[in-house]
Amino acid sequence: MKVYQRLAANFKAEGVTHMFGIMGDANMYWMHELDKLGGVKMLEVRHEGAGLGMADGWARATRTVGVATTTCGPGVSQLATAFLTASRAESPVVAFCGEHPTNDQDYNQRLDNARFAAGCEAGYVRLNTPDDADDAVRKAFYMAKLESRPVMLSAPMDIQQKNCEDDEPYQPSSTLIPPRAVRPDPEALRQAADIVAGSRHPVILVGRGARWSGAGEAVLKLAKRTGALIATTLMAKTWLSEDEYHVGISGTYGTRTAMKLFEEADCVIAIGASMNRYTIEHGYLYPKARYVQIDSKPHVVMAGGRSADTYIQADAKAGVEGLDRMLEERSYKNVGFRTPDIKKQLVGQYEDRKEYPIEPGTVDPRDVIRTLEDTVPTNISLFTGSGATAGFSNIMFSRQRPLVLPSHFFGCIGQMMPAAMGAVVATGNKPAMLVDGDASVMMHLAEFETMVRYNMPLLIVVMNNEALGSEYYKLDAHKMKSELATISTPDLGAVAKAFGGKGRLARSAEDVRSAAAEWVSKPGPMIIDARIARSVVTLPYRRIHYGQDE
Amino acid sequence: MIEVNERIVVPSAPRAVWGVLSDPRAVVECVSGATLGERQEDGSYDATLVVKFGPTQVKFGARFTLELDPATMSGIVVSKGKDSIGGTRVQAKMTFSVEEQADPPGSAIPITSEVEISGRLASLIETGAKLVVKRMLGDFTGRLAQRCAGPGPA
Repeated sequence: MKVYQRLAANFKAEGVTHMFGIMGDANMYWMHELDKLGGVKMLEVRHEGAGLGMADGWARATRTVGVATTTCGPGVSQLATAFLTASRAESPVVAFCGEHPTNDQDYNQRLDNARFAAGCEAGYVRLNTPDDADDAVRKAFYMAKLESRPVMLSAPMDIQQKNCEDDEPYQPSSTLIPPRAVRPDPEALRQAADIVAGSRHPVILVGRGARWSGAGEAVLKLAKRTGALIATTLMAKTWLSEDEYHVGISGTYGTRTAMKLFEEADCVIAIGASMNRYTIEHGYLYPKARYVQIDSKPHVVMAGGRSADTYIQADAKAGVEGLDRMLEERSYKNVGFRTPDIKKQLVGQYEDRKEYPIEPGTVDPRDVIRTLEDTVPTNISLFTGSGATAGFSNIMFSRQRPLVLPSHFFGCIGQMMPAAMGAVVATGNKPAMLVDGDASVMMHLAEFETMVRYNMPLLIVVMNNEALGSEYYKLDAHKMKSELATISTPDLGAVAKAFGGKGRLARSAEDVRSAAAEWVSKPGPMIIDARIARSVVTLPYRRIHYGQDE
Repeated sequence: MIEVNERIVVPSAPRAVWGVLSDPRAVVECVSGATLGERQEDGSYDATLVVKFGPTQVKFGARFTLELDPATMSGIVVSKGKDSIGGTRVQAKMTFSVEEQADPPGSAIPITSEVEISGRLASLIETGAKLVVKRMLGDFTGRLAQRCAGPGPA
């Protein structure tokens, strides 16, 4: 048996059903073998980085390993931004990458994959000898799952062509990882219960980790017992918003109402949330609070370089249930923030009614979000992009949906379209909507053709201000030449049609509504090019760049 | 570094304005969110200042010195502070003078400020900080004018 055949069989044995990438001569034998084995769908994309981005989206949507592949050299070097994004997103991804032949150091497509992976924060596993075929695949999947990160499996072309033994069955990575939740330490729980019981106005701050562990019911129960507001990180946006004391996001995308309430908080119970600088604004959001943090990691240092007053290493669900049980044993019950007055304050908290002049032929970006929120049913998932226009979508979309995945990892634009595509594939081609900026969508626009080829039911709404929005407003705030950050775009609705999908140009809220309704009635690959007014500034930018108290 | 060069105008005679600006207690009362603490042996003062960056409030503890020249009715305020939550540091130097203005009658006060914010808060406020400083100066002007005018007729 050839090594590439064994490698292919091992990937299949790991449970891989889909992979994303581009074929080249350093991965084509392996791909050909996978095709022969059957059961693994290969999605051919138009840029290797986008393929890895799709695998990242797959991982974020399912919490299972996403798989991408490239040829050697120039195929690998395309992965840089996508690797870094997946790394910051803590996405378990395995990239099967070709490597130039070990016996030809002058090979035209040579690249030092190890150094490249290190620079891109990716784990690295190399197939050094034919006998490594099992260990290499197992280790790559083990690392990706255990460390929740992208891993490059580098397979030199000549080693792939060698012979290897196949007399023993492959032992997949699942045989190495015991599925065991981390239980909380009772003493840490007691300390946490002391802090919570001593507080009058607690806030429960939930992140992705809480959602992944299925801690929802336990969090709602704890919130009622302690009188806590519920806030989320950006990454857990809209989660648990059925609770009537839910205040949306804690952080840069928070509402003014939430921020004013946070000022009064004397305790923050952080659950599965990294407590980074954006979530707590270095602690400035909670000037009076003591912190209890529950996370499955051994320890997490919060933004501002400080540790929680009590840190509990535990699976989120187990930790919250343990804390609630301890408070129940003390017969603890608190009204806290849960009063009729606070409930009244939360009505309409996401509304932004500041008036701006709207340029002719454009639509108020806030009306685009309101229209989409009303027109696209809540059984359809939502992905939001990065860049300036995320300041509208990340605050104003407030409904729960099967998946709500924001962007912002690595602070780059362009990565959310591939991630959304991967997530759509991962969820069995269920319809979903991506709302992103024009520069971001343009960056990987060629992948719309991939969407059409695989008939992905993804609606892309381009918040198109024909500008690099972030720079446009920064230049404006500095009283510099903001026009320097403008870039015209063609009618992206027409471009979508030329690619074989559906498309519309929208210059009013009614245009957006009718186009979105058309897509809802028959979901498929579609772009709505919504021309938004540059005059309307997002709330975060008003605060950060224009010094306004809103 | 945030640099703000402003010329504020107060409808009071220069001597009345100087009377306020040369009294640390009176000056602090003109700054919204500021409180004056103890006077130190070296002549410097402790103070606290609450600044609003968007909806977020940050409380700085600071020490400042005031160098006054009554002959030219000018002064230099140098202050250094930090906040207790994020360890953000602020250094500021402000020079001012009081000049007579003929039309409309009153005083003109050219103010030059250099403010440097370093540390964690800096990344959160970016360009907005300059506008916050300008807004505070505008607020200060209003309070100063009111203070110089003294209590109104009963």
